[in-house]
Amino acid sequence: MRSPRSIDIDITTRCNLRCSYCYHFNSPGDVEDDLPTAEWLTFFEELGNLAVMEVSLAGGEPFLRKDLVDLLQGIAENKMRFSIISNGTLITDTLAEEVASTRRCNTVQVSIDGASPIVHDSCRGSGSFHRAIAGIRCLQDHDIPVSVRVTIHHKNVRDLENIAALLLDTLDISSVSTNAADYFGLCQQNAADVNLTIEDRMIAMNTLLNLSNQYPGRISANAGPLAEARMFQEIEAALARNQPRIEGRGFLTGCNCTWQTIAVRADGVIIPCTLLPHLEIGKINQASLSDIWQNHPVLQRMRTRSSIPLSSFSYCKGCRYIPYCTGNCPAGAYAVFDEECHPSPEGCYRQFLAAGGSMRL
Amino acid sequence: MVTEVTRTSLAIRNPHIVLREEFDDWGLLFDPEEGIAYGINPVGIYIWKHLDGAHTPEAIQNLVTKEFEHVPAESLDDVIEFIQTVVDKGYAGFELKHDR
Repeated sequence: MRSPRSIDIDITTRCNLRCSYCYHFNSPGDVEDDLPTAEWLTFFEELGNLAVMEVSLAGGEPFLRKDLVDLLQGIAENKMRFSIISNGTLITDTLAEEVASTRRCNTVQVSIDGASPIVHDSCRGSGSFHRAIAGIRCLQDHDIPVSVRVTIHHKNVRDLENIAALLLDTLDISSVSTNAADYFGLCQQNAADVNLTIEDRMIAMNTLLNLSNQYPGRISANAGPLAEARMFQEIEAALARNQPRIEGRGFLTGCNCTWQTIAVRADGVIIPCTLLPHLEIGKINQASLSDIWQNHPVLQRMRTRSSIPLSSFSYCKGCRYIPYCTGNCPAGAYAVFDEECHPSPEGCYRQFLAAGGSMRL
Repeated sequence: MVTEVTRTSLAIRNPHIVLREEFDDWGLLFDPEEGIAYGINPVGIYIWKHLDGAHTPEAIQNLVTKEFEHVPAESLDDVIEFIQTVVDKGYAGFELKHDR
């Protein structure tokens, strides 16, 4: 690709919440100051000239930026669309109306982690549940597509059926994605409280597989228990058929993001992915994004991960699942091994079984 | 309004539509208003770039013949069909002529 199709921007590092598993607030991505409006508007012109199609704004909390509507207008004027990732708590009717008026919004993703204040607020702070639900209602009133992300953790894993009923039945959200509290940012400090135990993971897998049958096509996952359950089932099915390997597996093929998208921190530093904020590869409006995208050695290295066989890592030595495995997310690998071109323990089937996990759910 | 593209039509690109060229010389025509994108091949990209209000389908077909190898004799019909498709989608149109 000559340019990224989409770009993920942490438009601010400020947030009104301190969720106990947030990937910020203990990360190289936590920068002092947000860039001023004019810097972003200049950058959006460059993105428009490169025919980037979508800008995803996250944070921090994007709705904390007073100039958010100006930024959205800048994206629209440069013939792109946008999505916003939000905790939902600051969305008012007026803001929703302004977002809708741009006519370029793909989706606003709101995080909901519980079907009640007790569960949702346990990691996100008192009052956040009611305000997030009110935010969703405002967006829906203005016909803005709303998606919801459910982050599964130790305190909500037994509430998943209620969460699905709230989101998919009561609120009629069209699609819900799931992941799990992972070993990034604040979660590293609060791991004992929020990370899933092996028992939690099995409960989550079982429940989410059932729910995705109950709500076909409406629950997705790129990581976390549902993604793992689907991958582990696929491995078991291949073994049951005596299939020697799964096409495209056996190498570090767990991430294709660097072929499609790139990211920018709140200080304007360009990075391959918001979960790899330490990999600084340029600064907006100072270096050519096109040049970085096509030539930067870090991106070239990330793109050749898929040619690295899992058998070359001591971590995978002796593993019978190598021909069925992707090595998973590079950011997960970096969080544990300080190396992104390495398999990640997150999603490792051998480790899951060794910890007492079972796919006989 | 149905507008039929003929061999002498002078179509012009809708400036709101984005052409996104990819490494393999294929591309996407992206409508940011609707969030819809259509894939087009290298010949489609070439034709699209010549929808400037100055090139007729006949002229474009002549250029296509020079630019690409193995262009079939009946390619004018294909050029007209491509332009008709983008016109029907609102991705291209014709300049309005005002009576004075």
